[in-house]
Amino acid sequence: MAATQDVKGKGEGGDQNFDYMFKLLIIGNSSVGKTSFLFRYADDAFTSAFVSTVGIDFKVKTVYKNDKRIKLQIWEGLLRGAQPSLVLFSSLQRCAPAEGFQSDTAGQERYRTITTAYYRGAMGFILMYDITNEESFGAVQDWSTQIKTYSWDNAQVVLAGNKCDMDEERVVSVDSGRLLAEQLGFEFFETSAKDNINVKQTFERLVDLICDKMSESSDTDPAVTTGAPTAKLTDSAPPLQPQGCNC
Amino acid sequence: MGQSISIPTANPFQSSSFFSSSSSKRGPGFFTKLQIPVAKPKDFPALIGSCMSAASARTQEFLTFSDPEGKFCPSPQVLNQVFLATYIARSVGLDITDTFNCTTMTPEQRILLGADWVWALLEKPTKNPRVQIAVRVLHLPEMGAGPPESGSESIQMAQMESSSRSVCERMVEFCTSIGKDCYALFLFFGKRDDRENIYGVLSNNFGAAVGKCSQIDRALIENFLKGAKTFETPSGMMQAIVAKKKGDPLTLVVKFS
Repeated sequence: MAATQDVKGKGEGGDQNFDYMFKLLIIGNSSVGKTSFLFRYADDAFTSAFVSTVGIDFKVKTVYKNDKRIKLQIWEGLLRGAQPSLVLFSSLQRCAPAEGFQSDTAGQERYRTITTAYYRGAMGFILMYDITNEESFGAVQDWSTQIKTYSWDNAQVVLAGNKCDMDEERVVSVDSGRLLAEQLGFEFFETSAKDNINVKQTFERLVDLICDKMSESSDTDPAVTTGAPTAKLTDSAPPLQPQGCNC
Repeated sequence: MGQSISIPTANPFQSSSFFSSSSSKRGPGFFTKLQIPVAKPKDFPALIGSCMSAASARTQEFLTFSDPEGKFCPSPQVLNQVFLATYIARSVGLDITDTFNCTTMTPEQRILLGADWVWALLEKPTKNPRVQIAVRVLHLPEMGAGPPESGSESIQMAQMESSSRSVCERMVEFCTSIGKDCYALFLFFGKRDDRENIYGVLSNNFGAAVGKCSQIDRALIENFLKGAKTFETPSGMMQAIVAKKKGDPLTLVVKFS
């Protein structure tokens, strides 16, 4: 998206009074609560009615950090790209029951072509699973592979175990989530969109990580400051423009 | 992330007497579409078709109504909502929403994907979509597009994202990206040579036109209607979709009202 690359308020549309714009994606299996999570954060609203997202959708939220105005463009949907059969096979082995996983995947695969493009230019991901759904936890590794395959190398990731208000139906322990996050090199939160637990904190931590990475990258990687692509996706310039990030 | 539309508490059919003077000229068949049909459980396409017909009939009343004082001029957006509200009320009444659901798009999705709403035939028990019909309503050009969806930043960003392609192209791209089990249905609330009826062009093969035609726009799609000698009914359209062999192309012109 052009606006994402036009950091420093150069975008042609919308409120142009911002210092940075970060493109974030919420990804994860179907029905883990991505839409609810986004609605809670952007609108402070929650409904228990389940409506499967058609394709993709996004919301915009502005946050402030160290006197800098940061516009977050937050995309969500079944953002799964084309999947190598080997990866799919490994996930099927890991996830039980396999039949259920297949049917869930079938729903997501409908949108894979249109949604892969939205990984481009993303600076941060919230990779979400449902603590009451083991399949969704088993699929985290595959989602991580998706991020590595389709996104910018420096993209930051927070793992979120959603629906922590439903402790009675929990099948994924906090320790399992934390351990997996450590193995993957991600930050970790257990969250609840329904009870508004750790929603804001998850986004704030992701923004912090992105800012840290921006400062770090601009010091070490000249390509970042010139806008030249450093990632596999050569058609998406890293959305970092300023000389160091003081946010 | 579709947004659900609230179902009107009042029966939308009750107020049809408001238009009785104009509708009485249409003959006895007009209001028969508003009666809930007694359909066999297996006659599912007919049930869905009856919901679409009821919605079309109700919308047509608004489309053709001419206020003598010129004060009541429903906007394109209102006409869309009349159609959807009637459709939803009917489909809930017939208890078909677990099998054939309707998801209205958020304002951002309407811009990004080009669709106003998406119907989906769901598999049991997963409720994954087996067939989808993305619908875009095309109003008569002189009605305008209604007030521009502006105001919020996200709307403007979505417009920037989509500015290089027409709304029809976005719809076709969206449906093509999903596959042959996703149909694009362009719903014409009036066409140039028949301003009082509702027509549709449905296809899972508009993608074939990409690259061959200079532009996919209203004129191109309306050409399908110009060449048509017969039109399918909404029930016939659903029957054709259900009966179609997987992967085959299907293009239909449909008269909804």
